[in-house]
Amino acid sequence: MNRLSFRKLALGVLTLVLFILGWKLVTDARLISPIFFPGPERTYAALVKGLSGGPLLAQTVETVERMLYGWLLASAVGVLLGALIGISRRARAFIAPTLELLRPLPASAMIPVAIAFLGFSDQMVLVVIAFGALWPMLLATIHGFAAMEPRLYEVSAVLGLSRFQVIWKLALPSAMPMILASLRLGLTISLVLAVVGEMLASRAGLGQSILAASRSFRSADLFAGIVILGAIGLCGSRLLSMAERRLLRWQAVHR
Amino acid sequence: MSVSRLSPSVSRPHEEQASPAVQSRIGIRDVTLSYGALQIIGGISLDIAPGETVSIIGPSGCGKTTLLRMLAGLARPTTGEIVLDGQPVSGPSRSVAIVFQDYGKALLPWRTAAGNVSLALEARGCPARERPEIIRDLLAKIGLSRHADKYPSEMSGGMQQRLQIARCLAQEPKVLLMDEPFGALDAMTRQALQDEVLALTAATGATMVFVTHDLEEAIYLGDRIVCLQPNPGRIGRIVDVRLPKPRDQLLTREDPEFLRLRRDLYDLIKDDHQ
Ligand SMILES: Nc1ncnc2c1ncn2[C@@H]1O[C@H](COP(=O)(O)OP(=O)(O)OP(=O)(O)O)[C@@H](O)[C@H]1O
Ligand SMILES: [Mg+2]
Repeated sequence: MNRLSFRKLALGVLTLVLFILGWKLVTDARLISPIFFPGPERTYAALVKGLSGGPLLAQTVETVERMLYGWLLASAVGVLLGALIGISRRARAFIAPTLELLRPLPASAMIPVAIAFLGFSDQMVLVVIAFGALWPMLLATIHGFAAMEPRLYEVSAVLGLSRFQVIWKLALPSAMPMILASLRLGLTISLVLAVVGEMLASRAGLGQSILAASRSFRSADLFAGIVILGAIGLCGSRLLSMAERRLLRWQAVHR
Repeated sequence: MSVSRLSPSVSRPHEEQASPAVQSRIGIRDVTLSYGALQIIGGISLDIAPGETVSIIGPSGCGKTTLLRMLAGLARPTTGEIVLDGQPVSGPSRSVAIVFQDYGKALLPWRTAAGNVSLALEARGCPARERPEIIRDLLAKIGLSRHADKYPSEMSGGMQQRLQIARCLAQEPKVLLMDEPFGALDAMTRQALQDEVLALTAATGATMVFVTHDLEEAIYLGDRIVCLQPNPGRIGRIVDVRLPKPRDQLLTREDPEFLRLRRDLYDLIKDDHQ
């Protein structure tokens, strides 16, 4: 590890420590009733209890699975569909405006529609996650394809690359920086929708457990769930950043 | 022009003519090109024989790149036609390779030097196990052996230009179109590559159209030199180069004929610039 990244890490840890200290000060001063707002110690205790023997571990696995399946589905469909639309200039011109119109639709607005078709089921939640997380990947792929260096299309024509080769060997790698950034965004959306879906359809998972904790004023359990959700989001985004750095090694001009 | 004018020392294994009627590899027939109302190319006709090397010179903006793009099938003439082996050119094809002037944009930044050359092999369905050896040979020819694993962003302009040439050679083209390919090279590397390119075209019988701003390079490489004039781009003069082959960096450049040609061309260009 070089010095710069070590300093960055140290600063990050310091900020976290300060944040927890601040949290402790606020709760110790009893600015907010402990019934609604537990301190860091109580949250930590609930976390340990829930993860060792309690239901928290199983719920975390449920939610992570749900998030990953929805995200994978959205990524596969988004990149595939985006590639098919993006490779043809005409398809882009026809379809892109409609997509831009559909995109701002909040995914939660889709939930009643999904419930009507699939009921309160795991499939329903999966569809909602996939639908909501689809857009960044779909649009990034289309835009990435459109932004490909035109000279490379000419190179592909002169070399006689097949259409599939153009997609696989030129357009996808050239759109990769955009796609990878969208994958990270999509993962965040998947996590949010997994939690919302669990709350609304009462499927097992952290979402449901948080909701139950809040309804029965178990604020420490509620916060333990939130901490785990934060950790899931952080880990996911860190892992994808690492993959990004590896896959985009060629981009770093001066190493 | 006649094929016999070419030196017999040039071997051309690829050259089996489909029919006796086909005399030229490339035929440019009354070609014009306009962008809207603006005419860029104003009526060019030229026949290029198989195995011949034609140098093209002319002031900046006279349409050299545009002409090459039409030969590669990347741009359509507004009127007239381009013919390859008797067949009208309707689009790009693997048998016509082009080295683009803007070398930086023509390479795949996410592939190493070896990977970029490999693309041409993948395109023509060369089996994976045969590729490494071909790539090694080609990179050696253009002096990039030690840089096979570098990404274009880690290479100098001249290295990128050479890499693009290697990829074109991997295409095994019948026609090689070069748009100022040695512009970013130092004098020594440039001369080495001139000889390499001449040896390659001689060995494969490839036909070459070579755009350059360097008069000596045009003479050294060419069997003929086409001087373009601007506004709109058209042929000002065609100069035959009667220098013995194979060319030699020292002997050829000292040949009285070489010096005479250089003087002629220099006067010609100077007139164009006034
Ligand atoms: N897409 C285009 N639209 C309009 N004009 C163009 C286009 N491409 C080229 N031109 C014009 O055509 C003319 C010839 O351009 P071209 O690139 O062929 O010149 P060139 O001889 O290769 O010049 P250089 O030596 O600088 O490379 C120029 O005047 C240029 O402005
Ligand atoms: Mg040019």
